[in-house]
Amino acid sequence: MRLALVVALVTATSISSLKAWSRPVSYAGGWTIIEESDRQASSALIHYTPSPNWSAGIRTEVNRDADYAIYSIHPTFLAKRWFGADYQGNFYIHGGAGVATGINDNPLGDELATYGGVMADWETRTLFIGYRNRYLNSGHFGDQFMQAVRAGFAPYKGDSGDLHTWLMLEIDHRPKDGEPMTATPLIRLFKGPLLLEAGYNLTVNQPLFNFTYRF
Amino acid sequence: MHLPILMSFLVNVAAIFSVTANAQEHPDHNHHAEHQHTMGVDPTQAQPAEQNHDNDDESLDTHSAAPASKTTANTAALTRTEDIDTALSAGGEPIVADVLGVVCDFCALAMNKIFSKRGEVAAIYVDLDTKTLNLVLIPGATLSDGRIAELAIQAGYRVAGIRRGTEALGRTS
Repeated sequence: MRLALVVALVTATSISSLKAWSRPVSYAGGWTIIEESDRQASSALIHYTPSPNWSAGIRTEVNRDADYAIYSIHPTFLAKRWFGADYQGNFYIHGGAGVATGINDNPLGDELATYGGVMADWETRTLFIGYRNRYLNSGHFGDQFMQAVRAGFAPYKGDSGDLHTWLMLEIDHRPKDGEPMTATPLIRLFKGPLLLEAGYNLTVNQPLFNFTYRF
Repeated sequence: MHLPILMSFLVNVAAIFSVTANAQEHPDHNHHAEHQHTMGVDPTQAQPAEQNHDNDDESLDTHSAAPASKTTANTAALTRTEDIDTALSAGGEPIVADVLGVVCDFCALAMNKIFSKRGEVAAIYVDLDTKTLNLVLIPGATLSDGRIAELAIQAGYRVAGIRRGTEALGRTS
């Protein structure tokens, strides 16, 4: 439970999130706080990047639909980065293992939870496309596969330190959900170490608010 | 239910302090809008040190830290900011490194964080328009091409070419 408490400290304002759409591995020596929120769960991750190829952190995820929480260790590996003068592409492998436990009067006890997946993105200063997926097995709390694609564009080119603005559309697919596919248009703003995303899931009528802070 | 509120408060306070500290550490970053993309040379600036390659490339990991080439098609001159001009006036060596994959502000942040920790660096600016890392060293300091390339890797990026001295300032000789 000590781990749970530490992770909960990170979770803090778990109303928001940032999908790992935005560089889940930082520069060597960097720390990152990422909060995620989607139509089903809210989560927060704090990770440290010891080398530019991987990061490791602690993560908490609260499944609002099924009333359970997962407290986990979360490594991410940058398997490949493609460089160009005008673009960057990335392929990540992410995963985690920890404890799932019932919350909000859910009587189900602790259970081992494991998850893993891949992420990929390609980005220029004005175009972005990305894909990610994850398979989660949390024992008696169930298992789930999800995947999502996101595409967006920047209406202008911001320079270093400017406010950067992106308009994006995210389509996510969860085969076991009542609404297996949903669409969320969103706006991404970032400036310096801060990144914010706000959107609205048009299919299930839920807001999206994501946050990343890098230090 | 009070615990999440308390935790939220603590995280936000920590974030505010960190932002403040960063702003104090790199005040020039808040004045980026003042920069000019100067292709010529400001004659009022102090002459940079002559090319001073120390070529002490260090052992590198599985990534090749050597610049892809010493010269590239990119001939962007040093981007001028207030801090860079100040460091030039003090006699520091200007360096322009063409960097691959720098497409967003997080990229610039990473380069700033890595290079600003170096004692040799007096001023830094990452120019997303010219895709360059712009450095001015403190007078008398050296930073080899290999070390610059290695530091760029630590930031998560690759150096394609490096120009120094008069070449970095846009002079042809």
